[in-house]
Amino acid sequence: MELTQVPFHRQDDFLCGPASLAMVFNAAGISSATVESLTPMVYLPGRQGSLQAEMLGATRRVGLVAYPLAPRLEDVLREVAAGTPVVVLLNLALKLIPVWHYAVIVGYDLEKREVIVRSAKRERDEWSFSFLEYFWQESGYWSMLALPPGRLPATAREPDVVTAVAALEQAGRLAEAREAYRALLARWPESLIGLIGLGNVEYALKDLAAAEQAFRRASEAHPQSAIAFNNRAHVLAILGRLADAEAVARTAVSLGGPSLPETRKTLEAILAQRKQP
Amino acid sequence: MQEQVVRGDLHAPINSQERYPMSMSFVRLISRLLVVCLIGLPFQASAGMIGTDQAVSATQAQAARAIVLSQISRADVAGQLQSLGLTPQAAADRVAALTDVEVAKLAGQIDSLPAGANGSGLLVLILIGVLIWWLVK
Repeated sequence: MELTQVPFHRQDDFLCGPASLAMVFNAAGISSATVESLTPMVYLPGRQGSLQAEMLGATRRVGLVAYPLAPRLEDVLREVAAGTPVVVLLNLALKLIPVWHYAVIVGYDLEKREVIVRSAKRERDEWSFSFLEYFWQESGYWSMLALPPGRLPATAREPDVVTAVAALEQAGRLAEAREAYRALLARWPESLIGLIGLGNVEYALKDLAAAEQAFRRASEAHPQSAIAFNNRAHVLAILGRLADAEAVARTAVSLGGPSLPETRKTLEAILAQRKQP
Repeated sequence: MQEQVVRGDLHAPINSQERYPMSMSFVRLISRLLVVCLIGLPFQASAGMIGTDQAVSATQAQAARAIVLSQISRADVAGQLQSLGLTPQAAADRVAALTDVEVAKLAGQIDSLPAGANGSGLLVLILIGVLIWWLVK
């Protein structure tokens, strides 16, 4: 099993972070990504390296879903088998004097118990499973995927996927977040965060009818979610359906919970709007 | 006196060195403030709507803790990124792409967390690592 189509970007000096990202971004369809274009987004001069959080952040900034995998070789191999190259973080030296390094796993051979890796200046290395696991352990077996927004990881777990997509939304890539929410809702149609996230993105992209529909689905599937009712009430009020908006906002307030201050404000705003002639 | 100062500036005398740290700390203060402004702007939620991050935090204790301190931590992390060589705008852009949980993990720890690099000058250490692997496997 080998993803031969994943291009190689050679790493110079301390740039294994940008080089690894360039390879997985290219594989995810961002053909313009190069070491030069990604260095300003992820390389930290004062550390002469790239932080894990920023590897995830840079992935979101180009409009891809950044998905950290569970710390298991099996999961990495399953993702590669599904066609997605995986970035791993290794410590090549000692625990006390670590030399951290990112590499990209693009294939494996179960019979030879080897992974196929693009790393530093080498386009194709074969490492035994035990070699990889020894250098991988000190990062807590950390690895990540960069996925096109319409694709789910092969090892996808719902709470991790919604967190990853909500992060893409928070990073401001709304169109991609919308596509990613739709993809996750195709798999988990009743996902609360998926439905609320989709509604919020539709609202931000000014498709109020779609936002209302998403929040309605959320409130029907999760009648205890004050957030779903609150956001639906707000959108209904903007659409001019004030009587419906008031009823929904009253439900939101009646559910209480930590968002009570916001739900009360929403209801007050709707009542004030209804009093206007 | 005044003449001396003017002439002093032209010839870069001792007292210009004394003034240097003060102006630097002033520049640093201004750039920190700038970062806070740059960070604050994208997070103004529209009135009436509750953000997806709050929905996430309702299901995850870790996210709930992080969201409380998020604005302070973001300014803090952006300031640290700046001190490690980024411009205020680059630092703000990078922090904006992180989740509250990621920011909380970075806050105060940017100097110690792993930064993947593998410079060629560290080849000796890497060889030691490979040697140890060879011995223990």
